[in-house]
Amino acid sequence: MLEWRLKAYRIWQTMEEPDWAHVHYPEIDFQAVSYYSAPKSLEDRPKSLDEVDPDLIETYNKLGIPLHEQEMLAGVAVDAVFDSVSVVTTFREKLEEAGVIFCPISEAVHRFPDLVKKYIGSVVPQRDNYYAALNSAVFSDGSFVYIPKGVRCPMELSTYFRINQMNTGQFERTLIIADEGSHVSYLEGCTAPQRDENQLHAAVVELIALDNAEIKYSTVQNWYPGDENGKGGIYNFVTKRGICHTRAKISWTQVETGSAVTWKYPSCILKGDHSVGEFYSVALTNNYQQADTGTKMIHLGKNTKSTIISKGISAGHSQNAYRGLVRMGSSAAGARNYTQCDSLLIGDRCGAHTFPYIESAHPSAIVEHEATTSKVSDDQMFLCQQRGLDAEKAVSMIVNGFCREVFKQLPMEFAVEAGKLLEVSLEGSVG
Amino acid sequence: MAGEFQQQALALAAQQTVTPWLSDLRAQGSLSWQAHAWPTRKTEAWRYTSLLPVENEQWQLCDIAASNTLSDETLAEFIELDAYRLVFVNGRLNSELSSALPAEMVTFADANAAQQVLIKQHLGQIADQQTHLFAALNSSWLHEGVLLHVAANQRLDKPVYVVHVNDQGDAKAVNARVLVVLETGAEATLLEHYFSTSTVDRGWTNALTECVVGANASLKHYRINLESEQALHTGGVHVRLNQDARFNGFTLANGSRLKRIDYHLKHLGSGSDVQLNGIYLPRKQQRVDYHTCVEHCVPHCTTNETFRGVIADSAKAVFNGRIHIHQDAQKTLAEMSNRNLLTSDQAQVNTKPELEIYADDVRCAHGATVSQLNDEALFYLTSRGVSEAEARVMLSFGFVNELVEGVELDVLRHWLRPRIAHMFGQNDQLTRHIIHE
Repeated sequence: MLEWRLKAYRIWQTMEEPDWAHVHYPEIDFQAVSYYSAPKSLEDRPKSLDEVDPDLIETYNKLGIPLHEQEMLAGVAVDAVFDSVSVVTTFREKLEEAGVIFCPISEAVHRFPDLVKKYIGSVVPQRDNYYAALNSAVFSDGSFVYIPKGVRCPMELSTYFRINQMNTGQFERTLIIADEGSHVSYLEGCTAPQRDENQLHAAVVELIALDNAEIKYSTVQNWYPGDENGKGGIYNFVTKRGICHTRAKISWTQVETGSAVTWKYPSCILKGDHSVGEFYSVALTNNYQQADTGTKMIHLGKNTKSTIISKGISAGHSQNAYRGLVRMGSSAAGARNYTQCDSLLIGDRCGAHTFPYIESAHPSAIVEHEATTSKVSDDQMFLCQQRGLDAEKAVSMIVNGFCREVFKQLPMEFAVEAGKLLEVSLEGSVG
Repeated sequence: MAGEFQQQALALAAQQTVTPWLSDLRAQGSLSWQAHAWPTRKTEAWRYTSLLPVENEQWQLCDIAASNTLSDETLAEFIELDAYRLVFVNGRLNSELSSALPAEMVTFADANAAQQVLIKQHLGQIADQQTHLFAALNSSWLHEGVLLHVAANQRLDKPVYVVHVNDQGDAKAVNARVLVVLETGAEATLLEHYFSTSTVDRGWTNALTECVVGANASLKHYRINLESEQALHTGGVHVRLNQDARFNGFTLANGSRLKRIDYHLKHLGSGSDVQLNGIYLPRKQQRVDYHTCVEHCVPHCTTNETFRGVIADSAKAVFNGRIHIHQDAQKTLAEMSNRNLLTSDQAQVNTKPELEIYADDVRCAHGATVSQLNDEALFYLTSRGVSEAEARVMLSFGFVNELVEGVELDVLRHWLRPRIAHMFGQNDQLTRHIIHE
């Protein structure tokens, strides 16, 4: 493992920071970032949930991720990662009964070295990009999931990330392996408290869906976005990618409301024949937030299908860009893609951009791309206000409707929460 | 390697002679050309198109003295249009083949004092030479050009037909330049026609057209690019629109070893309107690359852009369409559509319709599709007794027909139909239903 990380570090040193994204931020001093920060010393690491800082439980509750056992009915197993260390993982025993491995990756490296060695870096290699190389060199923790053959994971799995320390970078690594014919739904939640300094988050997520497996990966991101003047906030540079083998399916759903700068493209490599990739995204930016997000669908196998639905909402002085790639390889006979990206503009100082790349090298592959941009229409506002809703409520209702297609992909509890998150994030953008 | 090529091009610039009052512009062009970092595959604007065909050649400028008489075959390719015709053979104006010029037109060399002022005011100012590499080179190589200047509220009685034809052999480079200035309320139609005779193998044309469309003026612009397969072409059309100005553009290109055409239009006055249609039809090993950019700098402007491509054999097409709405350009209506038809297993297309929007009260949409011929449509036609080969030609033609029909210049439309049809099927039997409407 050490060698693997050192190799990544050497690669990282030779790479240059990318500047093609539609975002601007001051240069990051990589020497000033703390690469490891433990929430408490390992000895007094919380033994049970009762010992976890009540503030943190509070944030969980706000996000709708039930950590308390009393909310067991919701049936979500959680791995909580604070700063650089995995704090607590719930429902371990129950999952192990089903044969599912769900543990911090630091533990997995010791307990399941063969699995980790086989798959880590197989989807996102060390030299993939600048931030992935950095992550490979310095990652300290993250989640590891393995679903054995033919097993349908009995509950939703969830990881919750939080950056507490000032000036800290969080570099977690998630590796999910769904063996043949298995099924798993995985949720990821992120928050960070308010800080003046910018924090760095450079994660790598690798998904491997073997034959006939299905992975559903949902993210609700609520990092600290910086204040009204664009001070502080998280820099979010994340590499997420999954590989689909024959008849496998990977579905990404994301709700992005936080972070000052987002640079994130959850992607699918549709390697196996008849595999399916999906991407549903809502990205909301307010104040001085900048987001450059989208997906890559690389079709290699025959009859592979992908769907991309992206909804961008910009308010205040924010910039919101969709950047997507759909590539039909020369072997992708009968492949099909449908892309729709809609943008909603609230306020006259924000920007919404679309940069779709379509590369097709097979005639029987069909690619469709549609994009529209508009503002909240005066007619809709008038109708709502005339029915007695105030302007802010009306906007939030219209925005919720605009995002409906994506929200309905989220698990129930998350969908409700995501709606609320949007409301909070939009506060002060009207009137 | 690349730096060497830039130096080589500059050396060629030194061999050109030009009227002294244009030497400042040439010097500027040379500076910008030198300052450009040479594009690589990582340069976004050249991501999908390789410049190797142009780099790997030892270019010579076209010989002025040689062959000014064109073969009958070449003359037969001219569009029979009742127009003011200017024929440039190998980059030089051929006065025998050209008609007498109206007062509105003049070559740079013959410009009078007032026209010189006008040319100096606009030439090289419309195309941004910092961002457009080959526009800078065009200024650097400038030796000849033509000005079309229509005075306020005048309408040019006939279209202007500018032909660029090359018939020299290997590795000859040609520079072409057109400047259009329409004053308030003026109207004109310009048809640019680039082609080469079959004897020309590996020539390179670097063409640049700059247009200023004054308030309430209207410009119809057609650009037909049908050069031989081995010819290289780098071209640009750069337009500025003032208040309530209208630009109606149509462009057609086949492919070649390297063909790159940039359209850059700027809405600078409110109420201006752009209609831009394009067709690209690369075949065999050909390449074609269209980059368009429409900038909305002011409110209340409209843009409607449609590009269709039929890509056959092992050809490769690139379309990059960009609509940029600046802050405060409210009430903009912009639509862009790009549809591609791949008719063979090896054909490739890379399309990127971009929207960059900084204003909120706008309605913008873009769409892009890539697909193959519809099986059901093919079945329908074959079930009606049409052979499959003919059905393919009919459907391919049908894919672009809508845009051909939109060409307002009747003569050009009738001229285009059989030529486009022949690109899909060389055999007359295959195109009979298309040509005889």
